[in-house]
Amino acid sequence: MDNLIATTENCRYCLMCRHVAPVGHVMHDEALTPHGIALVVASQRRGLLQWNKESVEILYSEPDAGNCRAHCVTDQPLPAAIAAVRAEVVRDGLAPTAAHDIHDRLQEARSLFGAFVPAKGESETVLFVGDEGHNLRPSTVEAALNLLAAAGVQALPVGIGLGSGYFASSAGFPSLAKALANQCIEEVRAAGARRVVVLSPKELFTFRQLYPERLGIDWPGDLELVDLASLLARAWTDRKFGLLPDASLAPATYVDPTHAVRVPERFDSARALCTALLGQPPDELFWRRHRAHPVGSTALQFTRPDIAERLTKGRLEDAVGRGAHTLICEDPATLHALEKHAPSFNLEVIGLYDALADAVR
Amino acid sequence: MVQIGLQFEMIRSELAEVVGDANISTTETDRLVYATDWFWLPQMWMDRGEQPRKPDYIVRPGSAEEVSAVLKIANVYRIPVIPWGGGSGSQGGALSVFGGIILDMKRINRILDIDEQSLTVTAQAGINGKQLEWAVNEKGLMLPHYPASANCATLGGYLAPRGTGTISTKYGKAEDLVLRMQVVLPDGHILRTPVVPQHAAGPDFFRLFLGSEGTLGVITEATMQLDYLPQARLLRAVLFDDLTQAIEAGRQIMTRRLDPFVIRLYDPQSTASRIRKILGYELEGAYMVLGFDGDPDLAALQEEKAMDIIGQFGAKDLGREPGEAWWKHRYDFYYPPQSLKLPWMYGTTETVTTYDKIERLYYAEKKAVEEGFADWDIDFIGHFSHWFHWGVMVYTRFIIKNPPEDAREAVRLHNRVWNTAMTAVMENGGMVNEHHGVGLKLSRYMQRQYGDAWPLLERIKKALDPNGIMNPGKVGFGF
Repeated sequence: MDNLIATTENCRYCLMCRHVAPVGHVMHDEALTPHGIALVVASQRRGLLQWNKESVEILYSEPDAGNCRAHCVTDQPLPAAIAAVRAEVVRDGLAPTAAHDIHDRLQEARSLFGAFVPAKGESETVLFVGDEGHNLRPSTVEAALNLLAAAGVQALPVGIGLGSGYFASSAGFPSLAKALANQCIEEVRAAGARRVVVLSPKELFTFRQLYPERLGIDWPGDLELVDLASLLARAWTDRKFGLLPDASLAPATYVDPTHAVRVPERFDSARALCTALLGQPPDELFWRRHRAHPVGSTALQFTRPDIAERLTKGRLEDAVGRGAHTLICEDPATLHALEKHAPSFNLEVIGLYDALADAVR
Repeated sequence: MVQIGLQFEMIRSELAEVVGDANISTTETDRLVYATDWFWLPQMWMDRGEQPRKPDYIVRPGSAEEVSAVLKIANVYRIPVIPWGGGSGSQGGALSVFGGIILDMKRINRILDIDEQSLTVTAQAGINGKQLEWAVNEKGLMLPHYPASANCATLGGYLAPRGTGTISTKYGKAEDLVLRMQVVLPDGHILRTPVVPQHAAGPDFFRLFLGSEGTLGVITEATMQLDYLPQARLLRAVLFDDLTQAIEAGRQIMTRRLDPFVIRLYDPQSTASRIRKILGYELEGAYMVLGFDGDPDLAALQEEKAMDIIGQFGAKDLGREPGEAWWKHRYDFYYPPQSLKLPWMYGTTETVTTYDKIERLYYAEKKAVEEGFADWDIDFIGHFSHWFHWGVMVYTRFIIKNPPEDAREAVRLHNRVWNTAMTAVMENGGMVNEHHGVGLKLSRYMQRQYGDAWPLLERIKKALDPNGIMNPGKVGFGF
């Protein structure tokens, strides 16, 4: 943990990721940039300020969306460092109530957004559904399973409504995050799986990077992790399933999901699926691909809902500025956040997997 | 000036009426974050656990009109106002030396127009440099100002200190790219400069605000010249045995107008340290990167002619890969832990002068700094990176890896090194700065730098800002 926190010493006076820092961009506040938060942490450690309600609020304003690190040529793990500092604040009894609410809900229900439903059955391939998929957008899960079936992959849904540990880690509760990580792995193991298809980029990042880096848990080497969008794009290219492109949906503008910058190998896959659906490439936002900003679907939705809303509205403003009418995205959490505010921007939101499943021949 | 009690709250309330309560902050944490820019001294001060001088208010205006209203309030109460862009200035230009209002410009950040016929962009001053570049790139255009700070600096921050970017040798400094500005004067009056800068309709007051660093007004909008994204960028590296010959080769390339977009010449110490560290090349001599861009045929011909000159000086052609690697990694120097960083003491004493003086100046400064601070095992490195038809800028730096632990002692040593370097620079015909600006750091040298002309600048300052509220302590102006 101390090694991670030392990252703030590097980042406190570095401004090189400012151009992609999403919260700084929407709030225009120096203190809410990666450099600003790192400087706050470094200053607290030097006795220049104390953790109190005001400074802790800033500490909990970092989105943990990975944009700073994705653009850091020396790969400074600042989001992980901030999560580690939050754990200290939790230990000292100074974390905000909203952070404890995250802890208590996950501790009790293993889910933040509804309920966890233990998986039943066994299968060599499983689809890790996660908390948001099951509880916020079940239609997307159903569509994903149908698409997998169309591609010739029989997948058992697992992790249905189960928190992966991302939110617990992000809010400063590594012990709970470890418990959830182990539960996720056990759930997959219990299904006898060898291959884990992951619905959300957040979970892909969590399993692959967050577990070993923040929690000291390596994802088991014998469990292959597969991104759903990449699998489907390959299957479509290999003509394992056919689609009837729906030109009535075009033009549509693709929204890179929250955490997309942490799994950049998905950029082209998601767009290939959009192209297959629309019969033409999707339009693009300004904040796209490597510079894609998140919506407010990180822990900010609990700790700083005002910033979370600004992030989501920022993406919608970006879309309006590009002349978009229809937005398309595959990630349940991102879709949920967009759908909440899209009507006030006169924008329609389409679930990519939902629409693809309808278009399967 | 410390605002306390009732007066503090009254002023806060008035400022909040202008920008909205969400856009003003007086919290301890915010004030601490805004207490330092990229100047080594305040960073060191805080690094050693010392409390910095903080601003009293952080204000985020959303328009030129709001800037104007804030300045009017500041005049009533005689409160300092310090414009803040990206906070990336290395000269202490954004420090609230006397407290007061930090005017964070980042809310004023819209692109107003991209003119694809005249090749101009008009944008508000708080826009981030890289975001502006991305936006014009989508039209196949570029704003050819590529400073290392582009990721964090703002458009206003490009102009206020007369910044220079990596490709200035061909495209000019930021001040050469600006056509028109909107400026809010210290009394709140909002003006626009004439539609173009090159004309004969009277004196060029436009340039007064370039280099004023917020002491004469606040730049709120600018129209900048664009260029087409180049069809080709040809880069290569060459190695000279001798720095003198390398400078002469660069001079000949420039005076024969071969139009390189970059000539980056590292002195032997930089070649051995920075080039090795960042690019991994172990070389002895003076490493030069040469770049030509634009039309592929024209760029190739320019490069061929430049290489003819290079060949006359016996330099070794290292080929394209080392030049392209430098271009790709040219900003990696600024990412920690590769960048210079605390607890080291360091400073960039960059300067510019004509070709007839540059080498003498470089060696005089090097000798003064190395001999004057040999006890501190000081390193002195440099590169020549912004070339003109008449001369060149040298980006010299000093580094002390074991400075005093005591913050006060460190301040004294830091200032002694700077005095030594700047004395050598001015005695040898150089300017105290070429592109980082003056800020607080070089403020004390301005009177000596300008000599007989300094009273004129003081009179201009007094006329525009009679209450002295605008960024006091900077650019040679007091409070």
